[in-house]
Amino acid sequence: MASKTELPLNTLQPYISAILIVLAALLLGFTNGPWYFAAGLIPALVSFLGTRELLGKVRKANEQKCFLDEQLIQSQKLAAIGELSSGIAHEINNPLAIIGQESEWVTHLLQSDELRDFKQVNELTDSLREITRQVKRCKEITHRLLNFARKMETLLQRVDVNRLIEDMTKWVERETKQHNIHIVRRFQKDLPQVVTDAPLLRQVILNLLANAAYAIQKDGDITLTTRLADHGQVEIIVTDTGSGISKENLSKIFNPFFTTKPPGKGTGLGLSICHRIIDKLGGHISVTSEPGHGTTFMIRLPQKGEV
Amino acid sequence: MENLRVLVVDDEADFLETVVMRLQRRKIDAHGVDSGKKALEIVENERFDVVVLDVLMPGLDGIETLKLLKQKKPFIEVIILTGHGSVESGLQGMQFGAFDYIMKPADLDELLEKIQQAYERKRLHEERHGLSGE
Repeated sequence: MASKTELPLNTLQPYISAILIVLAALLLGFTNGPWYFAAGLIPALVSFLGTRELLGKVRKANEQKCFLDEQLIQSQKLAAIGELSSGIAHEINNPLAIIGQESEWVTHLLQSDELRDFKQVNELTDSLREITRQVKRCKEITHRLLNFARKMETLLQRVDVNRLIEDMTKWVERETKQHNIHIVRRFQKDLPQVVTDAPLLRQVILNLLANAAYAIQKDGDITLTTRLADHGQVEIIVTDTGSGISKENLSKIFNPFFTTKPPGKGTGLGLSICHRIIDKLGGHISVTSEPGHGTTFMIRLPQKGEV
Repeated sequence: MENLRVLVVDDEADFLETVVMRLQRRKIDAHGVDSGKKALEIVENERFDVVVLDVLMPGLDGIETLKLLKQKKPFIEVIILTGHGSVESGLQGMQFGAFDYIMKPADLDELLEKIQQAYERKRLHEERHGLSGE
C-alpha cells in the first residue's frame, strides 16, 4: 500500500543507468575505437538486467508485505470487534434475564382469579408472549456472541485434508443436488497430511460450502481445489458461480454481524468465525469476487499448525 | 482402543441395537440409550469417551443434547449421526463442538475410524489439562 507511488520512478531506474553506461561506452568508442564501445556495452547490459531483477524482487517483497499488513489489520480489527461485542453481550445478558422473568411473572399473575375476567386479558397475554419470544431471541444472539468471543482451544491431529473436505461435501451435496448445483472436485491426489484441528477445519469448510450454495441459489457450480502451495502450505480454494459480492461489501465480509441475508436468516457470524479459526490454525483466508460471476475463498494452512 | 467406551444415542431401536452390537463385535465397549435425556443421565454416572448422537430425535433433539453434553463433560467427543439432517443443523452441530458427523446408515469401518480419531482427540485434550483419562 505505502510505497506503490514511488514505483514508476523505480521502474525507470534500470533504463536510465543502462542509457548512461551506453553513452559512456559511445564516448569511449569515439575516442578509443569500436572495441572499447563493445566492451563498454557489457556493463550496460549487466547493470540493466541486474537492476531490473533486483527491482522485481523488491516489488514482490513489497506486495507480500502489503498482503501481510492487510491480514494483520484484519485480524486486529476482528479481535477488537469480538472483544467489544462480547462486552456488550455480557452487559445485556442480565437485564435480558430480568425482563424475561418479569414477563413470566406478569403472565402468571394474569391467570389469577381476580384478573381472569379483565377485558383485555387475552390481548395482554398475547403481548407478553411476544415479549418472551423476543427476549429469547435476544438471548440466543448474546449466547452466540459470547460463544464467538470465547477462547478457542485447538487440538492438533494428523488430517487428510482431501478426505475431510470430501466428507463435508457429501453432506452439502445432498441438498445442492436438488437445486441443480454441481460440486466439482479438483483435489491434488498426493497432498501431504496436515497437522491441524480437524473439527475446526470442518466448521470452516462447511461454512464456505453453505455460503457458496446460498450465493448460487440454483443452477451453478461450486469448485473445490486443493493443492500444495509455496512454503509447503496447503491451499484450499472454494469457488462458486453465484451472485458475487460488491467491492463495498467485500471489505466487510469477515466482520462479525455483517450479513446480506434478510433479517433473522443469517447471524453474520459465519465468515468471521472462519477467519478466526484459520487465524488460530496459523493460516490465512482471503476472498476475491466478481459481482454477477462468483466468489472465491482461498485458505492457506501450514502443514504443521502451532499449538 | 483398550479403554475406549462408546455411547450410542438414537431413538430408532433397530438401528441402535445393530450399531451397538456391531461395535461390540469389534471388541468395543459400546452402550446404547434411546433419548437425549437418558444420554445426559448416563454420562453423569459412567465414563464415556465418545458419543455417537442422532441429530433427529423427539424430545431433546441432537443439537440440544450436544450442547448440554459438552457443558457437562467438555472432554467427551461427539460424532453426529444424520439421516437427512440439513446443512444448517450440521453447521450448528460443528459450532457447538461436535467432532465429526456420519451419514446413516453408518458404514461400520468409517464409524470405527471416526471413533478412533475422536478418542485420540479426547486423550490429547485430557493430557493437555493434566488428566490421564482416569
